[in-house]
Amino acid sequence: MPHFPDLYRTACLLAQEPAEGEDLVQEVYLEAWKSFHRFELGTNCRAWLFKILFHRLHHFRRRWTKAAKVEAFEKPEDQDGIVAETPVPQEIRDEDVLKALGRVPIEFREVVLLADVQEFSYREIAETMKLPLGTVMSRLSRGRKLLRRALAGVASSYGIRPDNEQARKGESA
Amino acid sequence: MSVLNSNSKQCDRIRPHLDAYLSNELLAETTSDVLRHLEGCENCTRELETRTRVRDALRRAAMSQVVPEELRQSIQRQLRATRLGFLGGSRGLTWALALAGLAVVVLGGLAAQQWISLLRGRRVVAGVLALGVADHVQCAIKGHNYPDIANPPEVLRQKLGPQFAGVLEVVKQNLPGFEVLEAHICSVQGSPRKYVHFITRGHGTILSVILTKSEGVQLPNGTAFRSGASRSINLYEAHLEGMNAAGFESKGYLGFVVSDLDRNTTLQIASALAPPLKNALEAGPGSTAQMNTLHLSRLTG
Repeated sequence: MPHFPDLYRTACLLAQEPAEGEDLVQEVYLEAWKSFHRFELGTNCRAWLFKILFHRLHHFRRRWTKAAKVEAFEKPEDQDGIVAETPVPQEIRDEDVLKALGRVPIEFREVVLLADVQEFSYREIAETMKLPLGTVMSRLSRGRKLLRRALAGVASSYGIRPDNEQARKGESA
Repeated sequence: MSVLNSNSKQCDRIRPHLDAYLSNELLAETTSDVLRHLEGCENCTRELETRTRVRDALRRAAMSQVVPEELRQSIQRQLRATRLGFLGGSRGLTWALALAGLAVVVLGGLAAQQWISLLRGRRVVAGVLALGVADHVQCAIKGHNYPDIANPPEVLRQKLGPQFAGVLEVVKQNLPGFEVLEAHICSVQGSPRKYVHFITRGHGTILSVILTKSEGVQLPNGTAFRSGASRSINLYEAHLEGMNAAGFESKGYLGFVVSDLDRNTTLQIASALAPPLKNALEAGPGSTAQMNTLHLSRLTG
């Protein structure tokens, strides 16, 4: 089955629990099998499978996600200024990243995963998720920022001291 | 929170581009601007380094997730079962051989190629069945080319002409629960292809039985593409434009049953109709060659 590892990992990182992720991947391949007549030969099979994944995922999510939640996070606080952020520790452990990622709201998490892990272009993400290009860009920027913030929070909860001292110096300047 | 750098105006201008720079989505000119600024700005360089580090850590952590082989195998089993369902449980030996072949392919690491090949076959099936669906949708559904009260049989036989008048009885006899409202020869706008079209009503909906000359169009061979068989006639199915279509080939003709009834019902109807239709086409005076001589008694769509 093509692209199975990519789809499985993405589904599990976006689902509420692993079993839900497994169900999602299963549905993707069954749906792809049934609706292959809609696939245009010569186009990107991987992007097509991801499109089905997100279609199914959004179907699941409609049960428990409210649009208002997204709007709240997409408010202008997202401006990418030169305000000091809580520093991210130098050594980042896999479990800390996954824990921090779990704290990023799913609407942002999915764009970050598609861009930073699956290396889709902005345009491909926009097509996959049926979002305007500008929304993809703002969600990615905001999602990355939320991830950094969550990562710093996870690290500090373990008592890990960030060694980005330069940032602290800058803050006190 | 406070400002990090005395050169804040330039930083303000560059920082919004850092995410796009990280994703390699910037235009060449903007990339040059960013690089020029980074050369002289320690804070922005550090910021970019942090973002790159987090992105790499995320990629590494995501890829560290173990992909369960048993899930892959479970899905493959389900896909095979789906195909068995299409087969209707017949043709044991052929299917067993096909399964064995599939297993060898999977074990040989060629699963992806097999997958694509199977899906391509399904697409060909859908492409052929789209002919019948197009006629049903354009002529019967959108064109509404049928009366509320069924046309008398003699009128329908006249519309069908001597070549296909006999097929009317075959359709009637093998379509219990349905009333033939209309029968004619028609074509779909933009195509010279001619269809022998029986429009019927039953089960609370409109169902079309359609015959058309193959004219080189073929359904693919291979058990995996079929959805069943009826007395050695292979049956194919597809869901298109909100309709379920079942199709079969018969001596130079393609036959279709199209409706919005569920897949199983549509297949059952096609299964009952295909053998007698094949016999009628082979035995009747208007077999393959005579389709060319038909005049359009009614143009629709």
